[in-house]
Amino acid sequence: MSTKINKFKIFFLSKIKTCILLKPFSFFLNILFLSSIISLLLVSLNWIFFKANWSVINSNLSLFAFGSYPPNEQWRPSLWLVVLTFIALITIYGPKKKWLRKNLVFVWIGTVPLGIFLLKGGFGLIPVMSQNWGGLTLTILITSCSILFSLPFGILLALGRRSSLFVIRKSCSFYIDILRSIPLIAVLFFGQLLIPLFLPYGLEIDRVWRAIIAFTLFVSAYIAEDIRGGLQSIPKTQLEAANSLGLNKYQITRFILIPQSLRVALPALTNQVIGLLQNTSLMSILGLMELIGIGRSILANPEFIGQYIEVYIWLAIVYWILCTLMAFLSKQLEKKMSTNKGY
Amino acid sequence: MESVLIAKNITKSFSKGINALNNVSLNLEKGKVLVVMGPSGSGKSTLIRTINGLETFDDGELNVLGIKIDSNFDEKKIQKIRRRVGMVFQQFNLFPHLTILENITLAPINVQKRNKNEVKEFGMYLLAQMGIDSHAKKYPNQLSGGEQQRVAIVRALALKPELLLFDEPTSALDPERINEVLDAMRILANQGMSMIVVTHEIDFAKEVSDKVLFLDNGKVIEISSPEIFFSNASHERSRKFLNQLDKN
Repeated sequence: MSTKINKFKIFFLSKIKTCILLKPFSFFLNILFLSSIISLLLVSLNWIFFKANWSVINSNLSLFAFGSYPPNEQWRPSLWLVVLTFIALITIYGPKKKWLRKNLVFVWIGTVPLGIFLLKGGFGLIPVMSQNWGGLTLTILITSCSILFSLPFGILLALGRRSSLFVIRKSCSFYIDILRSIPLIAVLFFGQLLIPLFLPYGLEIDRVWRAIIAFTLFVSAYIAEDIRGGLQSIPKTQLEAANSLGLNKYQITRFILIPQSLRVALPALTNQVIGLLQNTSLMSILGLMELIGIGRSILANPEFIGQYIEVYIWLAIVYWILCTLMAFLSKQLEKKMSTNKGY
Repeated sequence: MESVLIAKNITKSFSKGINALNNVSLNLEKGKVLVVMGPSGSGKSTLIRTINGLETFDDGELNVLGIKIDSNFDEKKIQKIRRRVGMVFQQFNLFPHLTILENITLAPINVQKRNKNEVKEFGMYLLAQMGIDSHAKKYPNQLSGGEQQRVAIVRALALKPELLLFDEPTSALDPERINEVLDAMRILANQGMSMIVVTHEIDFAKEVSDKVLFLDNGKVIEISSPEIFFSNASHERSRKFLNQLDKN
């Protein structure tokens, strides 16, 4: 034991010696960085614990979570968030039951209509207009709906880009190229302002759905490119094997191409989902009360005027938790997909 | 005797002037084994791949199991042929995202619309015959090359084919793994399966084949019985080739 400590001492001393005596410049740099990090930490901790006034967060927690959703009905979005968290935990820890493991994707897909139903009401629940949806619930709803719609749309675009039919091939690449060369905020403005003009008289889509449509149109172009990369990574011999077994084009696409390309594209797709979650904050500019929008409206309240830093730090933490959770989920999914398959 | 394959003057060129196949004609009777030999680039693979429509050809006529195709490449007829002709590749070409059993049952269930349970049972029976039924739930990358190739053979057999095509099935294997695949092929030949085999395995060809076809530069140099081909080949070119093989 004592020799161990001795060894450690010698090691430490020699380390210090080399640092101070032999490399004075690197020693200086080390001290400089260390001291600046420590002072930064001290300043921010001091601010967080003694100077900041967190009442702006505490008293508005339900606003951040549900927006102006009627208080009596707030159990509905809460229930949805709880269900989502529960399924996320199941996914991370690996479902024990075999049928659940096999159908986990469908469980995830099922959460989206469940969320819409719970938020919107009807069928025995009191209907709540989409103007009252907001906060974290709305952010997650827009993200999950957009992903659910843009994934199949993106796959179709990617397949269309490889189609042997000239018109389909060209129009798919045209669509992808156009959407990728327009900034997202322009697409969102298009969704809010122009979609109503294109619709026939009498038909109206509310703001939330217009946002979801705009996000879907935008993200699917990027997803299509990610899937295309996956498709290109499949060796030609796979197609030959599938052909020689007599599978037709549709069957080859469904059983061979899509599963293999999705697996390759998974990391890139995770990127898209995280990006999309963060980009939903742009909707605050267009008047939707999602997380950032709620933050802005709270800051506009004279009671909380000037407490920008608290609100934005709080929002940053919420976004950070959401994104980390998503990254973790996808890592888990990647692991599950690659176990024993040699990828 | 009924013919499973009649090829008449098959000609194909990849680029102008160079013939991959040059007037190839052959006739394979039911239950017989044809071994195709030749130096690399002689058109062996191209020939075997035209039979199930993986390659087109420019001229001539093919009659596979009574289905006639010509250079027009009728998609529907090709599909019909593929349902009745199995193929085994040099690189196995198993589907890496499916388990062994799923690899095997994919086509019978979806192409032939057979009953799921019946197909699974049949697949397990075939795997047991090859001695690899314990691997049914594994993925291809967990298996050795020889095992993967036997799975590929089972995958072709699961469609109950009337003709099996082998494109250098042992060329990608370790030397000590070659025999397990050749043994599987011997069993098939003894069971009366019609087979066309592209291979460099002389012993296998001597033992199993009913006819040997020697190709060079896309031309059929000779078709003869293995006894004659390996002891007293009629052409100078074939003898040269066999000498080369012997040296290796």
